[in-house]
Amino acid sequence: MSISLEHLYKSYGHEPVLTDFSDVVPDGSLTALLGPSGSGKSTLLKMIAGLESVDQGRVILHGRDVTTLPARHRNIGFCFQDYAPFYQLSVFENVAYGLRTRKVPKHQIQADVTELLELVHLGDFAHRYPRQLSGGQRQRMALARALAIKPDVLLLDEPFAALDAQVGAELRGWVRSLQHELGITTVLVTHNQAEAMEVADRVVIMNHGRIEQVGIPAEVYDQPANDFVRAFLGPTTTFEGQSVRPHDLLVARSGDGVAAVVRDVIRLGFEVRVVVAPASAETIWLQLTHDEAQQLDLQVGENVVIRRRN
Amino acid sequence: MGRSPRWLRLLVILYVGALIGVPLVFVFQRAFVHGAGALWSALHDSSMDAAIGLTIRVVLVALPVNTIVGVGAALWIVRRPSWVSRLVDRVIDVPLAISPIIIGLMLELAYNQSGWLGRPLAALGLTVLFSYPGIVLACMFVSLPLVTRQLIPLLREIGSHQEQTAASLGAGPVRIFLTITMRSILWATAYGVSLTLARVLGEYGAVLIVSGNITNLTQTLTLNIGANFENYNAYQGFVGAGVLATTSVVILLLLGVARHRERKRHEHLA
Repeated sequence: MSISLEHLYKSYGHEPVLTDFSDVVPDGSLTALLGPSGSGKSTLLKMIAGLESVDQGRVILHGRDVTTLPARHRNIGFCFQDYAPFYQLSVFENVAYGLRTRKVPKHQIQADVTELLELVHLGDFAHRYPRQLSGGQRQRMALARALAIKPDVLLLDEPFAALDAQVGAELRGWVRSLQHELGITTVLVTHNQAEAMEVADRVVIMNHGRIEQVGIPAEVYDQPANDFVRAFLGPTTTFEGQSVRPHDLLVARSGDGVAAVVRDVIRLGFEVRVVVAPASAETIWLQLTHDEAQQLDLQVGENVVIRRRN
Repeated sequence: MGRSPRWLRLLVILYVGALIGVPLVFVFQRAFVHGAGALWSALHDSSMDAAIGLTIRVVLVALPVNTIVGVGAALWIVRRPSWVSRLVDRVIDVPLAISPIIIGLMLELAYNQSGWLGRPLAALGLTVLFSYPGIVLACMFVSLPLVTRQLIPLLREIGSHQEQTAASLGAGPVRIFLTITMRSILWATAYGVSLTLARVLGEYGAVLIVSGNITNLTQTLTLNIGANFENYNAYQGFVGAGVLATTSVVILLLLGVARHRERKRHEHLA
């Protein structure tokens, strides 16, 4: 089910949060709303869910204007960053909540919830309570609870931010394959560019309540629309007065280029950072692969030349 | 948390003992001083029984009303913040800050036959002062903030994400309150209700002014105890005090249970 957002405005008092925001989320896609904190992305997600009112503009789900429709009639699955577990209810009852609200027959609830718990690998945890679960398990429970109502759209607010790095990485891959399997239109909010690049097949980069750029991950990374997008999506350094990616620069002992002196060589594993000081500009840095650095064997204090890779 | 020093614990025990324990024991001692037979007949004193009856009837109205209003006010103040609700948040503490006797005078001025609120009510044939409605009103006034004050910090701490999630899963406001919100605030509410009950039972000053203190008619148990002491009927006063004190101890125990459950909930949260 596609989502059309048409000229959305929102402000808290005199503070604009969202300004003339328009986008179409295609059916079945996994879109990431990516931006720094305060860019309006979480507010936008809540507006799609009906948990936040719209000042101006329209929210359209599959051709139907739902701008003023209460959240409970939208059939949208929503997961908060803190997963908002119902602490007083068991894992089973958490997942069953939406089905009980919809007066689904008991045997059907039993079957559906059991199947969902298997899907999110919580089959053995049905009778536990949320406080007895780890962060990753709570997140999977929240996902199962949202999926139980067979939502038209799934909305995830910073789904991996509260997890430690390793669990987060595991769940990212899992959520991506689950989304592909179910084919449900999904929008997730994140401030982490690597997360957006890894999970999403479409990225909306936001800043100050406006869209900076929309595209597939490779496209926005390689052809950033402006310096904000370039800086937000990855490391940048300044070469000949321009903002460039450190891995787009090359260091050599001879040939064309800007003369510079090696200040430092930092080995991070696959990536090796070289800090150089050009004669007439500020210190910059560039990225080499492990093999490139090995071949060059740069020494601190050495004279080199810097140029762009082709 | 480390253990407090022995001398400090001893000091606290002595202080609490001198302040509460010893006087409480003496109340019961005095009530039993003439033996079981005398106590039995004193417990059946007609004006005291009338006072107990009135007190129970006051509790039966004031307690549920203040519980419902208290829960509603807390939800409104925390979940629907506006300048009105913020004003209510400030004003709701007034009964705690003002002496009950002044509250009584305020009610008397507002509800007397020519008062702003008393006159229209009198036109409808309703008398508030020196009768049952006035006593209920005074008791509700003095205990108004007790439930709300328990719930406001708790509701803030819980946040609204669970309620919003329930809404996205299709639940309406009533279902959300019954299945999500109420389950989280149950014990804190019980604690607030216990405080309210204790306050309503013990209220003296405001009720004294508003009720007129008419024996057998508008005399609550605390007023009855006071009247007995004034009329040199100290023994009957001590029996009344014993009844009230016993009730309070039971409430205190219930309060302890509610607090314990509440603390366990907090430990789970951490």
